[in-house]
Amino acid sequence: MTGRIFNISELTVHDGEGARVTVFMKGCPLRCEWCHNPEGLSFEKQLTYKRKKCVECGLCRKECEHGECKPFGRCLHVCPNNCLDVCGKDYTLRELVGILNGYGKITEILGGGVTFSGGEPLMQWEFISEIIDNLHGMNTAVETCGYVDGKIFRQAVDKLDFIIMDIKLFDRELHRKYTGVYNDIIKCNFRILQNSGKPYLIRTPLIKGKTDGADNLEKIKDFIGDSDWELVPENKLAKSKYNMLEI
Amino acid sequence: MKTYSELKEYIINRKHRKLRRKIQVNLAEEFHTAGYTPSERMTRRFELMCREEKPVVFECERIAFIRTVQNLPEIFTADEWNEIKKNHYIHELGFVSNVCPDYGKILEKGLSGLKENADSYSVRCLDALISLVGKYVTEAERVGNTDVAKRLKSLTERGAENFTEALQLFRIIHFALWLEGNYHITVGSFDRYMYSYYIKDIKNGILSKTEAESLVEEFFLSFNRDSDLYPGVQQGDNGQSLVLGGLDENGNETFNELSQYCLKASGNLMLIDPKINIRVHNSTPLEIYEAGTELTAKGLGFPQYTNDDIAIPALEKLGYTHKDAYDYVTAACWELIIPKYGCDVANISALSFAKVIDKCLHNDLSTCKNADEFFVCVKNEIRRECDSIADGLKNLWFVPSPLMNVCMGCNISNGGKYNNFGIHGTGIATAADSLTAIEELVFGEKISASELIEAVDDDFGSTPELLHRLRYETPKVGQMSEKADSYLVGLLGAFSDALENKTNCRGGRFRAGTGSAMYYLWHTDEIGASPDGRRAGEPLGTNFSVSLFANIGGPLSIVSSMVKPDFSRAMNGGPVTLEFSSDMWRGKDVKTKFAKFIRSFVLLGGHQIQLNSVNLETLKDAQVHPESYGRLVVRIWGWSAYFIELDKEYQDHVIARQEYRI
Repeated sequence: MTGRIFNISELTVHDGEGARVTVFMKGCPLRCEWCHNPEGLSFEKQLTYKRKKCVECGLCRKECEHGECKPFGRCLHVCPNNCLDVCGKDYTLRELVGILNGYGKITEILGGGVTFSGGEPLMQWEFISEIIDNLHGMNTAVETCGYVDGKIFRQAVDKLDFIIMDIKLFDRELHRKYTGVYNDIIKCNFRILQNSGKPYLIRTPLIKGKTDGADNLEKIKDFIGDSDWELVPENKLAKSKYNMLEI
Repeated sequence: MKTYSELKEYIINRKHRKLRRKIQVNLAEEFHTAGYTPSERMTRRFELMCREEKPVVFECERIAFIRTVQNLPEIFTADEWNEIKKNHYIHELGFVSNVCPDYGKILEKGLSGLKENADSYSVRCLDALISLVGKYVTEAERVGNTDVAKRLKSLTERGAENFTEALQLFRIIHFALWLEGNYHITVGSFDRYMYSYYIKDIKNGILSKTEAESLVEEFFLSFNRDSDLYPGVQQGDNGQSLVLGGLDENGNETFNELSQYCLKASGNLMLIDPKINIRVHNSTPLEIYEAGTELTAKGLGFPQYTNDDIAIPALEKLGYTHKDAYDYVTAACWELIIPKYGCDVANISALSFAKVIDKCLHNDLSTCKNADEFFVCVKNEIRRECDSIADGLKNLWFVPSPLMNVCMGCNISNGGKYNNFGIHGTGIATAADSLTAIEELVFGEKISASELIEAVDDDFGSTPELLHRLRYETPKVGQMSEKADSYLVGLLGAFSDALENKTNCRGGRFRAGTGSAMYYLWHTDEIGASPDGRRAGEPLGTNFSVSLFANIGGPLSIVSSMVKPDFSRAMNGGPVTLEFSSDMWRGKDVKTKFAKFIRSFVLLGGHQIQLNSVNLETLKDAQVHPESYGRLVVRIWGWSAYFIELDKEYQDHVIARQEYRI
């Protein structure tokens, strides 16, 4: 079994208890207009390009023998400034478990652990579940949009130590308008979470004119009751990522 | 100026610089003609400077003394210097530097008391200084600052009796030691030698905690009055390092209320002086790291942390006594020195690991059968380089320093209780990564030795695929690579081995270190490209860092690599230097998480660490609009500086460090 990952980030400080290692899983069922990890949207591997560093030497356009370069029509192994990269790498269980357990000692001292984020990590729950079975006692967390089959969601909540879940918009039509999907499943999954007894945090991104209206925030508040709730300011840095993907 | 805040604005906006003048006098010629000895010359110049200094007292200040003469006239002619250099090794400017006076003794004895057992030169210097203090008394009375007048008058006759007097006396002596021509005069363990004065006043009810806090802030401000006159490689490199906390000889933590006031004062002032260093160990409470992290998050580039658990046993191993080892402080940057007794020259020279690799690449690689054989050549070359460095350091001579002598526990220019030489080590990650690349590619039979040598000599001009592979696809230090890390450990071990049993020209020993000082730029110019894919002219990392362009895993991977070496034999100093973007401090508990991160570095056996927090866009904008960024602070190698006051090459290096990290 393999999992498709687009980044492993160290010393993440906004993804759960303590300073952590965050694994970003590729692919997401939502298409939020404001997505701050656009490179995680598609499950497909994508070519990324750092335009600012490119000196237009043309070396990457020459034909090469590498199989992994074929789908992109560019050689990935020749850029002097490392402008080209493939977003999305398949890791075997053994590879990722090896990497994560390598952080075991330091994350333990840090009081942190591993967080699976994305994209939507629960789209690859089977893989994550196996990973967790092989971690040596590390604290585990997930950042999910909650748009996932209820059975899987329940399994995930049971297995993980901490769940961070987004509730972006309460109104189902607006949810569809801005994220591409209705939020009925998300609301059902929230109740599963709320009744699970597991520690969790609800997050709402504050997007001007879309999610930050008093009406939306109040309805979410009523819905989630006394759950821990965090309002997250819009990530302005995401723009450069869109440029890299040329979306 | 009626209030402290007015004074603060006045100093921060550098209006006090208008008080200064230059003196035109050819002392060197005069001294040469008269045939004066070096000690006589130092004494005469100091007497002259004390006469020329015009006292300035502000109505509202509690701690007086400010430089009004901008220049120190030379005491030797150019020909005389040439003559001296024929027979002696002269370190940097030739004057005593990077030492920590015995502030405890100075505060206790006072200026007059220091005359006991002093030689005639020292007595003359002290008399000249006492006269200058006398002039300050008159001036203080004239402007109506009777408190300062009273304090200064007492301090001409006796030592300090309370906290305010102790701060004032420190200010006088620190000012005078610079005026004598010494430089990089460090502040040492302020929270230790000042504590008894502070706590006595608190207990006697003559000082409130609020007053103490505000006094510390005013005291800190005083370090920024004359600092631009103090020589260094760049502005900001002035050695005003202050140490807080750490274990005492009985194993007790010394971090106290005064230490807290220091961190608070620094955060309030947001000025680069004094530079804060915190001594930590396996039982340092998290709150100390948290208080330090507050400063880091503000972007001051300090504190720098040193691990007692590494430093103290290493010092003892090298022959420092138990008590002295526990008293260690940091020199201008991070080199470990001992107050009072330490006459170590902690930054006397530097080994370029990158140059060693370059030599072996060209001389040995083609004849080696495997990676082990090649590494033996590298170790031998390190030994040869160290031998050659040591051989070049003969007949070390410092200009005598009569005033400094009475402030130390020995005649400092001739050497003292400890006379060890510290040697920096530059470009260790470049070297370790190069060795990894050579093992993987040449001995892994992907390319031949001659192909690699040709490519390096050609600066990879015609081998882009190899360049890409070396730079971005070969394991590096900071990527959780066992191989690269084992070379890192091996290189530092070889450096320690090479220096271990050497004796220097003063009978002391050598101390291997992981610092770079400015050599990270200087050593870059000595070589072309390197086998790790670093192209010609691309700088080496600062201090104990991963390579600038390495696609590092992140801070945890860096720390995992950098705690591995045996620092018990490489303790001279040189921190892991990490770069963070200033916008990562937002959010709940983030500072606590960073505090835990630094603590984890210490618990895992790291030696020294410092963190830079700046915004890349801000730095770039500051290069274009320097006028808007007068107080933008960055950490350079062992000191913080105002970004706009740096030469462009140093600015660019800071920017490069950021660019690669985001």
